[in-house]
Amino acid sequence: MPDWRAYVRDHLPPLALGPTRELEIVEEMAQHLEAAYEDALADGASNPQAYERAAAQIKDWRLLECDLIHAKRPIAGAWMSRRITVETRVQSEERKFGGINMGSLLQDLRYGARMLLKSKGFTAVTVLSLALGIGANTAIFSLIDAVLLKMLPVKNPHELVLLNWLSGPKGMSRGIDGDMSDDPATGLRTSTSFSYLTFTQLRDNNETLSDTFAFAPIEQLNVNVDGQAEIAGGQLVSGGYHDGLGVQALMGRTLTNGDDKPNADPVAVITHRYWRRRFGRDPGVVGKSINVNNIAFTIIGVTPPEFFGALQVGEAPDLSIPMAMEPLLRTGSKSLNEPWFWWVRIMGRLKPGVTEEQARNKLEGVFQQSALAGWNAAMAQAEARVQPLRSEPRDVPRLRIESGSQGLSESRSQYSQPLMLLMVVVGLVLLIACANVASLLLARAALRAKEIAVRLAMGAGRWRLVRQLLTESLLLSFTGGVLGVFFAYWGKDMLLALRPWGGGELAINLKLDLRVLGFTTAVSVITGILFGLAPALRATRVDLAPALKDSSRNVSGGSHSAIAKMLIVAQAAMSVMLLIGAGLFLRTLNNLESVDVGFNRESLLLFRVDPRLNGYSGPQVLSLYQRMIERIQSVPGVRSATISRHPLLSGSRRSTTLSIPGYTAEGGRGEEVLVNVVAENFFDTMEMPVLLGSGLSGRDDQQAPKVAVINQTMAQRYSVPDNPIGQRLSDGPTQIEIVGVVRDAKYTGLRQATRPTIYTPYLQGSGEQMSFAVRTAGDPTLLAGSIRDAVREIDQNLPMFDVRTQDQQADRSLAQERLFATLSSFFSVLALLLACIGLYGVMSHAVARRTNEIGIRMALGARAWDVTSLVVRETLVLVLVGTGIGLGAALAVTRLIASMLFGLTPNDPLTISFAVLLMIAAAALAGYLPARRASRVDPMIALRYE
Amino acid sequence: MLDQEVKRGSAEMLILALVEDRPRHGYEIAKLIEQRSDGVLQFHVASLYPMLYRLETRGWIKGRWVEKAGQRRRRFYKLTAAGRKVLNEQRQTWSDFFAALDRVAGINPA
Repeated sequence: MPDWRAYVRDHLPPLALGPTRELEIVEEMAQHLEAAYEDALADGASNPQAYERAAAQIKDWRLLECDLIHAKRPIAGAWMSRRITVETRVQSEERKFGGINMGSLLQDLRYGARMLLKSKGFTAVTVLSLALGIGANTAIFSLIDAVLLKMLPVKNPHELVLLNWLSGPKGMSRGIDGDMSDDPATGLRTSTSFSYLTFTQLRDNNETLSDTFAFAPIEQLNVNVDGQAEIAGGQLVSGGYHDGLGVQALMGRTLTNGDDKPNADPVAVITHRYWRRRFGRDPGVVGKSINVNNIAFTIIGVTPPEFFGALQVGEAPDLSIPMAMEPLLRTGSKSLNEPWFWWVRIMGRLKPGVTEEQARNKLEGVFQQSALAGWNAAMAQAEARVQPLRSEPRDVPRLRIESGSQGLSESRSQYSQPLMLLMVVVGLVLLIACANVASLLLARAALRAKEIAVRLAMGAGRWRLVRQLLTESLLLSFTGGVLGVFFAYWGKDMLLALRPWGGGELAINLKLDLRVLGFTTAVSVITGILFGLAPALRATRVDLAPALKDSSRNVSGGSHSAIAKMLIVAQAAMSVMLLIGAGLFLRTLNNLESVDVGFNRESLLLFRVDPRLNGYSGPQVLSLYQRMIERIQSVPGVRSATISRHPLLSGSRRSTTLSIPGYTAEGGRGEEVLVNVVAENFFDTMEMPVLLGSGLSGRDDQQAPKVAVINQTMAQRYSVPDNPIGQRLSDGPTQIEIVGVVRDAKYTGLRQATRPTIYTPYLQGSGEQMSFAVRTAGDPTLLAGSIRDAVREIDQNLPMFDVRTQDQQADRSLAQERLFATLSSFFSVLALLLACIGLYGVMSHAVARRTNEIGIRMALGARAWDVTSLVVRETLVLVLVGTGIGLGAALAVTRLIASMLFGLTPNDPLTISFAVLLMIAAAALAGYLPARRASRVDPMIALRYE
Repeated sequence: MLDQEVKRGSAEMLILALVEDRPRHGYEIAKLIEQRSDGVLQFHVASLYPMLYRLETRGWIKGRWVEKAGQRRRRFYKLTAAGRKVLNEQRQTWSDFFAALDRVAGINPA
């Protein structure tokens, strides 16, 4: 038995008669159909025949709707009063539901869904474009939320404060480990790093903070678990760290003050991430012994999965180790006892009722005293060279207290610009999608003008119809939103893997949580109203008389097409902006990829080792490197192996200040040049030709005179026109002889201009951490395994880390450029496509409206070409106006991305011309198709066209 | 098949006449019209209910939901006093009309 009630409900449009009455009507008709169906069955009809007979009772639902409304609301004056009472009753019923009649809202939804399903093509295009727009916005917002907005996942994060200081240029530290920047408000230097002494004094002398704790990152720890050595990241924390943050252990326990004592057993707490990655979620991890930098540590606990510590966003220290263990981990380090070395970050929790300003006033004196004590201690020990500093007055640092709810925040600014830029790009795409859907809705509204006019004439309220139309828009935008969440879910991890900030992997929780979904919902609602309201208002403001005359041509003129035209102009403007942006990023990427790096990037495998973590020191390190180079060079497929302090194009570098003869005045400050410490075969391996002199040799060791090879830029800047070979540079008391000039090569990155650089032999260095570069005959990644075996033969316990090819290294530094080029091209092409669909829709509509006129023109002798150019011209005028606006806006805005470009200015004429031409060409095509249709009109048919 | 105009003009009177002696529901009305006219007159949902509602709105008939034990509720329509007056007037008008037709064209009303 078919459900006749549902059948009627699904077919009958809303009648605006009040929910009770409408339900009664549905019920009554359904009963009738049901009875007819049963009678037909009783007459011996089959099920489908009976269904057909019953369904034939109502052929034209639209007509029925009109008849029903008419029957219920006769305009006859005698019944007017009665109608008003009915309406008052309906309105009072609506008020009961807070102004919204739930019954008719459901009806609106059902009717809206039916209308949308009827035009599947329209619905698919709009939902898809909205989903792309909303999905992109959701994905970027989830990233912004995680990187820029989220608070630490700890107890009451808003109570946390983070200390920092402001100082003039003559500070009281003799070494800072941590971020230091210029405070934009005061112009003073600012940093969050303090000496360990300052921390203990602040912790022990304060009444304003309930918990005071310190922490500092350690980049590399050599962690040996069950004989497998690997590099991990970590942090040193004071004993009160976990209690202060209010972090409970997931397993085992967290650190206490008892663990942070010089003679305590070495213990470590690990993060959930590290537990999963390194221990495979081993439930017996608590109590396990591991070797960290060759010292036995016991794991005492695992922190919860969402907790990554309070370091810079995206940094996740795998191990937290008590501060007191620092001298064990860094052999020979006295950082805890050097009051002039500022390296720990201090956080605390405000006691109830204490303001940040009160806490600052209480703590500043303690800080300033300890800073001064540190400086005096440094001066007492300082070598003669810096003694003049002793008499100079120093700048007394000022203490500042800021919110610690997000942990360390310095690096957030580095992410904020690219993320905000992406947000603007996806925002524009969504706006274009809105404009596009709005113009499609307008065109559809014109087609539905008759329906709307009939319903208005039948007494349906205008607000009621606007609501119905808005319901349809919101239905579209919500469907788009739901689909968009799926896009975002799939896209966000891809986005995270692409690393829009160009750095390393970020440890952040990227979740589509309630906040993000709330954002998506808000965006969907705003979107739906944005693109739905204007068409809905426009559609219901019809002039009834002509509309009812069944001539859709008359309804859609005037302000309707004005809105449509404005939407086209806006879409063209935004598309041009995106196209120009995409062009700039594409050309930047292209310029960077074709930069001459000065050496051969191909077939090079890079990796790093740090023997000092295993207790090697001084000469031992040098001989270890020597043996490793020889061993690796004997691996089949390896053409040569070399080492350098800094791998090329990795962003890391060192600089020093040298006196240069004939250039630096006696007693002057000297010149700052870049330094890289390399093996003697570095230039051969990297294929950097030595242009003058002999280069380095294996005999340049500790006993030999200090030598260096300089690059071309340095030779040109400092020793023209003389031959630089044999000249001496002074590094303080040390004399360095120039023994060669090598061809310029990029050092830190592809973007940086080549600066004066010297290369010194590693055998004359102090045995530091080195990076290996291995030139292979074939694909370097295939040799990684045998090279690893070779290293293990030399020292079982020495981990190789940062293994990658030189090309990967260069690519990694281009991650941001590539992401922007890819995403902005994708979105701008999408925008262009959407704009063209909109343009095509509007022009088709305009042409259909003017069939009559075109027929007259052709009858009077216009040729097909005249008609085509007439329509195309109209299209192009709109697009040119839009392009002009977009161009102006782009010129004003692209300045903001100037720092992200390379090898071209934001006003690059080539890029702009290309973007404009692309826009015009695409628009001309979109306008040409309807124009061609118009030109094929048969004048006789056109003239009869009604 | 009768001409549309005639059908529409007479339809209201047919309905009023059918609910004159006792209340009836919509399907019953449609069925009776079909049976008693031997299938010459047919009312479908699409035409019957708007007409019922129109008559109700004018106050000539009155609909009421009636629920009988073991059955679903149905809406029964009965003639109001105003409806009875209109029915009598219409009967008179149609009667006069048919008499006139007979005199002119020789039609014998049933």
